[in-house]
Amino acid sequence: MPRRFAPILLVALLIATMGLPQQGQAQAPAGGTLIIGRGADSVTLSFYATAAPDSEVLAHIAETLFRLTPDGKIVPNLAEAAQLSNDGRQVTVRLRRGIQFHDGTPFNAEAVKWNLDFFRNPDNRITYRFLVSEVTDVAVVDPFTVRLTLARPFVPLIAHFTHDFMAMHSPTAMQRAGLRPPLGEPYGRSPVGTGPYRFKEWIRGDRVVLERNPNYWGAEKPTLEQIVWRSIPDDGARTLALESGQIHVAVRVPPRETTRLALNRALRVDRTSSLRTIYMAFHAQKRPYTDPRVRQAFNYAVNKRAIVQTILGGAGRVSDAPITPGIVGYSPIMTYQYDVAKAKSLLAEAGFPNGLNLTIHHPTGRYVQDAQIAAAVQAQLREAGINARLATMEWGTYLQFTGRGPEQSEVELFMLGWGTVTGDADYGLYSLFHSSQWQPAGNSRFFYKNPQVDTLLEQARSITDPGRRTATYKQAMDIIMKDAPWLFLHSESQVTGMRREVSGLIVHPTERILAYNAKLGPAR
Amino acid sequence: MFQYLLKRLCLAIPVLFGVSIVVFGIVRFIPGDPAQIMAGQAATQEAVRDIREALGLDRPVPVQYAYFLGGAVRGDLGKSIYNGAPVREELGQRFPRTLRLALSGILVSCLVGIPVGILSAVRHSTWIDSSAMIFALVGVSMPLFWLGLNLILIFAVRLQWLPAIGYETPQHLILPAITLGLGSAALVARMTRSAMLEVLRQDYVRTARAKGAAERRVVNYHALRNALIPVVTVVGLQLGNLLSGAVLTESVFAWPGVGRLLVEGVLTRDYPIIQGSILLVATSFVVLNLAVDLLYAFLDPRIRYE
Repeated sequence: MPRRFAPILLVALLIATMGLPQQGQAQAPAGGTLIIGRGADSVTLSFYATAAPDSEVLAHIAETLFRLTPDGKIVPNLAEAAQLSNDGRQVTVRLRRGIQFHDGTPFNAEAVKWNLDFFRNPDNRITYRFLVSEVTDVAVVDPFTVRLTLARPFVPLIAHFTHDFMAMHSPTAMQRAGLRPPLGEPYGRSPVGTGPYRFKEWIRGDRVVLERNPNYWGAEKPTLEQIVWRSIPDDGARTLALESGQIHVAVRVPPRETTRLALNRALRVDRTSSLRTIYMAFHAQKRPYTDPRVRQAFNYAVNKRAIVQTILGGAGRVSDAPITPGIVGYSPIMTYQYDVAKAKSLLAEAGFPNGLNLTIHHPTGRYVQDAQIAAAVQAQLREAGINARLATMEWGTYLQFTGRGPEQSEVELFMLGWGTVTGDADYGLYSLFHSSQWQPAGNSRFFYKNPQVDTLLEQARSITDPGRRTATYKQAMDIIMKDAPWLFLHSESQVTGMRREVSGLIVHPTERILAYNAKLGPAR
Repeated sequence: MFQYLLKRLCLAIPVLFGVSIVVFGIVRFIPGDPAQIMAGQAATQEAVRDIREALGLDRPVPVQYAYFLGGAVRGDLGKSIYNGAPVREELGQRFPRTLRLALSGILVSCLVGIPVGILSAVRHSTWIDSSAMIFALVGVSMPLFWLGLNLILIFAVRLQWLPAIGYETPQHLILPAITLGLGSAALVARMTRSAMLEVLRQDYVRTARAKGAAERRVVNYHALRNALIPVVTVVGLQLGNLLSGAVLTESVFAWPGVGRLLVEGVLTRDYPIIQGSILLVATSFVVLNLAVDLLYAFLDPRIRYE
């Protein structure tokens, strides 16, 4: 008896667990349902969102007042137009009429005021409330007009209104469910917006499901019945799931897989440049990195083109400015051409004829091929007589380690990326290069200070004329590039694999996949 | 027997209490601030501080532990820092999935490992034995994720027989169960072989043969039953390992179980999730150990519990 007992027990237990309630469908029927495989699950679908896995889903449910097009233009969305007062301290926003939230609540000036007031209120502790920190008052002028009062002129505000975390949610739904910091629970688990898709279901760690909003107000009606985001953390498995046809889209395909996928007739590989700049920053207040010649020497010593070609398989663009094309205010400035002799002579001039030693800190698994890139930089620096030791850290530790104030910070040269997700240069330049933004008060972990740059970045915030504003940013970026507080590297490309039957999908430079106009048809 | 059971269950309490202290302490020693990770790179320090306060992470660690323990005793393991879900609910959803995977893995490893081990022992020092042991060596050394990805490549991408990822139907279970089972099958095979070899040399086996019992009966009835004791130990421990260590398999097959939850918890410094998952795994180990000990008595009537 005992001999037979164990396997029987095992099978019985197995059958027992099989009998547990099954969640979700087996293989979701293709045709009406688009399945997108991505690395991470969403965290919260509310104002409290902080990362791309939230914003890419939110973008289909809740809409913003203005929208950033993939080619970098800001166009009206839920708003019809915005007008700036002469002194630049008031913005009047006219809203579109006849729109309802998914729960039937009308979208109007009251709803916008409720949203903005909630977002701005410090008691609600919303991480991204700095996006509207210059707004001091929101007033309802008439049912479809709101007027915002600003503490000082702040032109990037309209760009900030394109941010998915600032999308409009139904005040009724938010009040009914409630939003508790830090995650906007419980509302953040079943959001209600005006978008082309409605929230349907969210199985944590597995999938988020949206369904078509048949009453969508926009001219282009959604055609897919459902959109499903599935979390498949392993890059290889995600790619294989795409090849097997179990998913239609695979986000962030590893560079080494692209050649193989390109040979598969059922698939397409899309490469879209991202607004994320990857760089290594010097601790600009720590000797010898206080000397621009030393920082420039590093820039000359590294062959950025080779890194993009070999390590990224061409899926990237060598930086020619601290921000990328597609951002309002971008201009190409310069690239430090690979020149080891020049690097050596600059080092000698700065008093380091025999080179120098340092530690490069870098994360691993955060950016595309980050550890490999750090190793390549280390090898190239050696040719210029710079001996670098690599120190790898996992992201959570890294954020804390690099996030200390100038005195405590132990970094010398370290790798980071910055995505200018508002599509406006202010977010990419002011947050990092203005001296008021040093950690712990702001976001600069490299403590750069140049009074001229500070002045230019402040001025650009209030210049309404786009041409003049771009010229001002160009001036600031000219100085930044020469000062070289970064070892400028590249901007990433997003490599997305998709099946040929998918059309109309937008891979947005802000690193979101937008499927609201996507269609599933016969393979094309 | 009942007394023994009661004694063992009482002993489990200090064990789990110890585990809770160690886990609670260790997770707070890992560098990295959950509030900072949650807020993201662009957040201001003020925002990070807000999150820390909202999560109660600004309180002294002993106070935090007292809250945790107080909750845990009442079955409340707190809420995930990262996504606000109650840990008990999250584990309750995920544990059955991991259990299903681990049991299927063990089934595969027993169905493959025990017959291979027996065959290998019975055909000792023949080519069958050598090939079986080579299989075992390869099985033990094969990285799980590599095996998993290859199985997906063959059965899901090329042949299109089975789904690549997911957990919903019995078909979804086949590839991950094989991936998980083959590694431990190799171990079970080696253990069965050596135990069988030893038992087959014993006097009572010779007696069984001498009294004319068929070789099949000698092996399956007389020898195997006694050889099973070390095998059961290994299988029990393997099941514990599979319950806690199915991390890679769960990642490769997008199987949202406890292993993946634990890894994601560590990456985001989600203290309550890490604590809850490890407590659950520790509890399963305690239960499994007890079950294995009780199983001995079924296998060998000479073993008594007092």
